[in-house]
Amino acid sequence: MSLFEIIGKYHVAFVSGLAVTVKLALVVWTVGLSIGFLLGIVGGTYAKTFGRVIALGSFLLSGMPLLVLLYWLYYPMQVMLNVVIDPFITACVALGIVNAFGVAEAVRNALGDFPTQYTMAAKVVGLTARETLIHVKAPILLRQLLPLLLTLQVTMLQATLFASLISVEELFKVAQRINSMIYKPIEIYSALGIFFLLVCLPLNGLALWLKVRFTRNLSES
Amino acid sequence: MLRCSNIVKHYRGSRVLHNVSISVKPGEMTALIGPSGAGKSTVLRILACLEAPESGTIAIDDDEYCYPADPGTPAPQPWPRLTAVFQQLFLWPHMTLRENITLPLRLRQIPDIDKRVRALIERFDMSEFIDRYPNQVSGGQRQRAAIARALALKPVYLLLDEITSALDVEQAAAIIKHLDSLKADNIGILMITHYLGFLQRSADQIIFMEDGKVAENGGREILVNPKSSGMQRFLSSFNEIESTIS
Repeated sequence: MSLFEIIGKYHVAFVSGLAVTVKLALVVWTVGLSIGFLLGIVGGTYAKTFGRVIALGSFLLSGMPLLVLLYWLYYPMQVMLNVVIDPFITACVALGIVNAFGVAEAVRNALGDFPTQYTMAAKVVGLTARETLIHVKAPILLRQLLPLLLTLQVTMLQATLFASLISVEELFKVAQRINSMIYKPIEIYSALGIFFLLVCLPLNGLALWLKVRFTRNLSES
Repeated sequence: MLRCSNIVKHYRGSRVLHNVSISVKPGEMTALIGPSGAGKSTVLRILACLEAPESGTIAIDDDEYCYPADPGTPAPQPWPRLTAVFQQLFLWPHMTLRENITLPLRLRQIPDIDKRVRALIERFDMSEFIDRYPNQVSGGQRQRAAIARALALKPVYLLLDEITSALDVEQAAAIIKHLDSLKADNIGILMITHYLGFLQRSADQIIFMEDGKVAENGGREILVNPKSSGMQRFLSSFNEIESTIS
């Protein structure tokens, strides 16, 4: 059976797996970016209080493998709390936490490293705090952050595959299931690899392009 | 007149400014000179209302700012009637030089933006590079654009913090040439510089600072006949450098 025959025969299962992967990625991106931005702005604004808490959270998470966090949320935590949580929601929470702290740390660092001279220059030519935020601070920060955040979101999309290990019926799980029935690992996993390359490479390319296009020399030297 | 009286400022427990009082008149060029760590940049930032002193008074024409400030009394915004240009990191890097100059004008909805910007481009010889980004032009060209941006809103007082110190002699000379013409626009200039030759020719008032105090204050003649020992030492160190070079 060729690759196209496999896709043709099992297209319903593949589309259903792809839908779960896309749904999971969308939830993780939305949760991570919204909460992460919020935490990052709060952490950057109140660097000595919230900033330290967020930095500590990111530091702790950096030492915790994603798989361990996912398993811990899925098994021990649910046993301890005596609850049963849907695997999809568990995956959303685990990946959402990692993404949110990743985004928060990036935003917090960008805010902390923002050269005060730019805001000072805005002040002395009469710009209000709101005008400075809209026309000076936000555009410079976004240009700095965009490539970094895009790369992080691609990593999160790739990390959705881990959800298969807690029985989320996403694309990888579907591929595994089909392979267990027809045993065509070369065709199935190659197709999966090509699919991720087709989705992730353009996004990574876009991140690289944005970095080259927008990251201007802040030192002016 | 721009004036500060009895300014006191501490940094990490040590006093860096001791009852500093200086004034800048519109249409005059006042130079602040002195060794490193004398407190010149701190005075300039305080006068620009970018830093608050512990005590003292700043007056910008009829507006008075008393320190320690009363949080219940809102102070009138001094900018851009009073504006400043710094040595580095002053132009917004995501905008071209033209956009840097026009943004404050656009936000204030000034009616004759194009005319005003064209006049500044001509005045500061910027037509060749006005549509480039700050990282695509030289340090001298950036400084000219920064001064043009500061002047676009027609300030009454312009404070310049060592704007030529990072430039080579040729670029610094081009900037200085433009500064001379600002006096004619009735702009009061306070500048920190080490170009004593320029001060000898153009400064109306020279203030020498040492150890956070105004040690000597007067006209150009104080460069020739300094009274304070600190000023004498300062000038002799310049003469030593000049004789070593020549």
